[in-house]
Amino acid sequence: MESIKDKVAIVGMGCTKFGENWDLSLNDMVIEAVYEACEDAGISPGDIQAVWFGSYWSGVPAPSQPLATTLKLDYKPVTRLENMCATASDALRQAAYAVASGACDIALAVGAEKLKDSGYSGLPTDELAMGLTSTALNTFRSRMFTAPGHFAMMATSYFNRYGLSPEEGRMMLAKIMVKNHKNGTLSPKAHFRREITVEQVLNAPIIAWPLGLLDCCGVSDGAAAAILVRGELARNFRPDPVYIKALQVAVGPQEGYMNPRHDWTMVKETYRAGAAAYAEAGVKNPREEISMAEVHDCFSITEAVIYEDLQFTRRGGAREEIEAGTFELNGKLPVNMDGGLKCFGHPIGATGLRMVYELYKQIQGKAGPRQVKNPGLGLAHNLGGTPGGATVSVIIVGPK
Amino acid sequence: MNTPEKPVPPVNSWTAPYWEAARKGKLIIQKCRDCQKYIFYPRMSCPFCFSDRIEWVQSSGRGTVYTYTIVRNNAPSAFLADMPYVVAVVRLEEGVQMMTNVVGCAPEEVHCDMPVEVIFEKLTEEITLPKFKPVKK
Repeated sequence: MESIKDKVAIVGMGCTKFGENWDLSLNDMVIEAVYEACEDAGISPGDIQAVWFGSYWSGVPAPSQPLATTLKLDYKPVTRLENMCATASDALRQAAYAVASGACDIALAVGAEKLKDSGYSGLPTDELAMGLTSTALNTFRSRMFTAPGHFAMMATSYFNRYGLSPEEGRMMLAKIMVKNHKNGTLSPKAHFRREITVEQVLNAPIIAWPLGLLDCCGVSDGAAAAILVRGELARNFRPDPVYIKALQVAVGPQEGYMNPRHDWTMVKETYRAGAAAYAEAGVKNPREEISMAEVHDCFSITEAVIYEDLQFTRRGGAREEIEAGTFELNGKLPVNMDGGLKCFGHPIGATGLRMVYELYKQIQGKAGPRQVKNPGLGLAHNLGGTPGGATVSVIIVGPK
Repeated sequence: MNTPEKPVPPVNSWTAPYWEAARKGKLIIQKCRDCQKYIFYPRMSCPFCFSDRIEWVQSSGRGTVYTYTIVRNNAPSAFLADMPYVVAVVRLEEGVQMMTNVVGCAPEEVHCDMPVEVIFEKLTEEITLPKFKPVKK
């Protein structure tokens, strides 16, 4: 099996402002993100040879034809795809494989979501979101069970496993959210651009104890796009292309719903996708070799567990790392430099490409006040589903 | 405005014995005759060895809270009247985990590893739900 490492480069990226984009349609946002990406790459939309278009919820069924209309594509192939919250990451993965195979020289990956005028506010029932009725009448584990409910159970069992009182645990989680909001104030395109305090997080209305309102990300409108070319062509487009080092997706067999002794304090899919991505990129010691990461902080506890599943720290080590400031913007391994899902926003089908957009700008030294010093490898972790049944993408990018 | 009722579990051929027992105030779980492992929720075949030689056995009805959350917010539904309420994963003495409610104490009193025992709450004529309450010391 060959590695994707350095075979494909990103030569242009675009991202809309995330938020309540009442004045923009899905198509408007696609145009904004794709045109920014084309301009960045120095190409015209007519140069695009194939498209992978990710959307999770907006206008489903959302066939490929409206996208061809929107971008005035000249009978080019367009595939619309969905892979839960990891949808945009998978659009990038498909486009990268097409370019790597030589089937096309210039491919577009675009993800877009228009949620705020739809009433959508997060994962609906498992049956609807995950098709669990297809395998079992799942009334015994998680019928009508929400995402906050699932991740709250993860937090409670995590606190218990590592001997944290609920107060200590909630404090640890609050600090993650404060960090992400602080970073996000430096992101002009972020949805919720304001700082929050630990006290505000702790005193916010409880959604599913121990998670309060500010432990939970919202959903947003937005779009993001990437132009991909074969590695050896990349410097014809720009002097500073960003190369793909690893593309891995791990889809769990819903073990958490099936295994009567399931451990709720980790997400195996994150561990597996991360380990596979490290192997593909030739990373031996993630903590030392990864410069920065954009991770799926859909809830505060999710980010804490990601630190451990991605081997940035040992099991149970999240709290001491948070206290030490390891993952702050100026820390050893900055995480969610642009504010993450919590602050930048979460238009589901666009999120994975938004993460890569931030890594791309960081690697090119264009992240402004958020700029990480001497960035090398950047990692994007994008999680769909819940503890016990997840679809996780881990992408690693870097300079040549 | 009409608000949704509480959902009633669908009963099918392989879950019927479970609900029938619950109606009589008994908690039963499955056990594989081949690999001897306990199974929950009810299956047609063993999820560990695929054997279909599965038997129903009586659970002790005792266990501990593995994890839980307290629901303090919800969409409009019949559950609003119960708030705040505890949704928990209880690990039975037999080792299997089941999602359930912990009742019979204030939500703030619930904690991980807390010893609990089964009680039964009638939902409809057909369906009685096993729930758990703290074990009295």
